[in-house]
Amino acid sequence: MNNQIFKRLSYVVALMAFFAVSTQAQSPVDPNREKAIDSLALEKVKDLGKYIAIIGNKDTPFSEANRVMDRAEELFAPGSEMGVSSLASEEIKYYKVREYFQRLMALNYDKVNIEWYDVQYISDLERQPDGRYVGVVTIYQKFEGTTADKMNYKDTTKKDITIYVEKKKTQIAGRTIEFWDVILGDIRVSETSV
Amino acid sequence: MKKLILLSLSFFFVFTSYASAQIVGENYEIEQQLLASTKQLNQFFKRFNGEEDVKGRTFEPDDRQYRNERLRKKYLSILFDEEDTDISSQAKNDFIERVTQGDNPEFLNLHSKDWFAVVNTTFLYKGKEMPLLLYMKIQQEALGYEWVIADVAFDPYKTMFDKQRGETKVFLHPMSHELDFMNLRKALVKGGVPESYTLADYKPDFLTIFLYEVKMGILQFQTVNRMNYHFFGIDGWYFSLTNFNRANDNSGWLISDLLQVNTSQKEDLLKIIYEKK
Repeated sequence: MNNQIFKRLSYVVALMAFFAVSTQAQSPVDPNREKAIDSLALEKVKDLGKYIAIIGNKDTPFSEANRVMDRAEELFAPGSEMGVSSLASEEIKYYKVREYFQRLMALNYDKVNIEWYDVQYISDLERQPDGRYVGVVTIYQKFEGTTADKMNYKDTTKKDITIYVEKKKTQIAGRTIEFWDVILGDIRVSETSV
Repeated sequence: MKKLILLSLSFFFVFTSYASAQIVGENYEIEQQLLASTKQLNQFFKRFNGEEDVKGRTFEPDDRQYRNERLRKKYLSILFDEEDTDISSQAKNDFIERVTQGDNPEFLNLHSKDWFAVVNTTFLYKGKEMPLLLYMKIQQEALGYEWVIADVAFDPYKTMFDKQRGETKVFLHPMSHELDFMNLRKALVKGGVPESYTLADYKPDFLTIFLYEVKMGILQFQTVNRMNYHFFGIDGWYFSLTNFNRANDNSGWLISDLLQVNTSQKEDLLKIIYEKK
């Protein structure tokens, strides 16, 4: 938990460093700041990756998996959904984030291994009508599951993850500090042919 | 003893290196494919415009490589579907030459009005799952931009308002006004043909009907199946993008149709895409 707080604080401090130029609430994201926001977004996506691997791991005790699900859910904006399709069906099935994690935990495999390819793509940040910025981070995840009778299942999914970027305020040592925060939104999960 | 330890350590080192090389090797090939794939529309735009490097890192506008003509030609050549479409190499080359033309290059812009998405969806309509096309455009609103529904195509709507013309059609006779239009009672009935009593140039607005039926719960959204993007922003050209999910470098968002079009051909093409008569 301390680790979490420390991490958040370091996000805030890191982004504050890029916030020195303008304090106008609707100011555009300048290129330097955009790079810092990209890094923060990737950090959050990596955190999500770690949480997914723990939730999917069959050695994770039930109580621990639930605690990690809580942490993972905190990365998301309320109401976020996962839209899942497979090679067999182009139809997208929609799950609430928590429901998706619960399904992952309940998968009927004896052993599960989840890895991430070292390929990611971060879109530009686009401004929405409400002034917040939105972008999409694309990553690829490899899933391997083995059943009790040693049947193997493998797939690689593309995950297009919505990121929302908005300016927030916090109090540090009695001073109000503004900073850019990143929160995850809907995720499109599609099975790839690779 | 020392020798034995050294030998064991070297063996261990060789073995682990080999094992990790195996994993890296397997992943390497896939990662190269994933890198080559045009993973987002955003990346298609950036590659088209020559605004990022091969690893997807954005060039700053003051970078020598930014929108570099040679880089653009290289990228553009890999932005075409090479398996399922029959775009001639002549058309491809002409298009690449046109958009990279030294004194008048063309670039794509997310906020442009000259492109739109056609989203193939499924709706539940009167208890039955039915396909419905949504035509989506991007527009400016308040502090930013948003995607909006510009039009719909839905089979039941297409014939619902087909109006009969001529001598055999039903009508409100020309002296109806003297009877305080009391014959409207017979005209406007359930299952009737109320469109017969409209102006000669009456055109139904399918989008409004769609919105009404969604609000009333008559049409219920089920899912998105697939989508295409259509571009008319390059003068004299039309192209469309499709997402190809393949286990090779020619994957992701690629140009699946490319045509040289004049103004009247453009209008005809738009009618076909919008499924208008």
